[in-house]
Amino acid sequence: MDKSFELLERLIYATNIRHRVLSSNIANSDTPNYKARDVDFNSFLAGEQARLTVTDPRHIPAGGSGMAGADIISAPGQAWGDGNNVELDMEVAKMTENGLLNQAGVRLLSIKIGTYKNALRR
Amino acid sequence: MDIFGVFRISASALEAQRARMNVIASNMANAQSTRTQEGGPYRRKDVLFSAVPVGQGDKGSEGVQVTEIVEDPTPPTMVYDPGHPDADKDGNVAMPNVKVIEEMANMMLATRAYEANVAAFNISKGMLMKTLEIGR
Repeated sequence: MDKSFELLERLIYATNIRHRVLSSNIANSDTPNYKARDVDFNSFLAGEQARLTVTDPRHIPAGGSGMAGADIISAPGQAWGDGNNVELDMEVAKMTENGLLNQAGVRLLSIKIGTYKNALRR
Repeated sequence: MDIFGVFRISASALEAQRARMNVIASNMANAQSTRTQEGGPYRRKDVLFSAVPVGQGDKGSEGVQVTEIVEDPTPPTMVYDPGHPDADKDGNVAMPNVKVIEEMANMMLATRAYEANVAAFNISKGMLMKTLEIGR
């Protein structure tokens, strides 16, 4: 069927993972030696297939059922005296941005479903 | 993926920051306490945080917990006050090693961290609510 369903599903899934990673960063903003992490969206956006790299054997590869893993990378940042490099304001900004991206995906998916519903009604 | 894991991450941080606030409050409250149950003046306490995996151990999802409450090893501040009942023979009193300004700064940090986690929690909630409306 329509390729965009799969694409939007992956977008929502990837933003959910990123949201969780950013939540961990914010939660650990005062934990000594904690290093900030992020999700690499480049691999998500690269290529027509918008295929995500499988980083964990438990992840189901993209293109199959549509579920995919996302690359978790360490975010850059200067570590303070306690070895923690979380920048709280940056993390909140990233989280807001990611939340909007997620909402965009959800909205588009709803519209897509709406179009099909409309078509079926006639 | 565990959908509700993200709430546990934020909740663990709120709990940890609240524990930190408790310790800071007791430090400030005891800034002048020269007697304790263990004997000697009150000693400043601090919390130690550590990251703990949440849920089924998804990569990158770690909550936070208070591992230990440690005592500040710096020696008590000696203040000359011969009239004080706890003064030694030279008239010096061992006062707690609490610096109120430092505690105030720590308290502001704890408040900001708490607020950031509340914001994260609310964003999580908003995302989940919107996701539930797919196809409505």
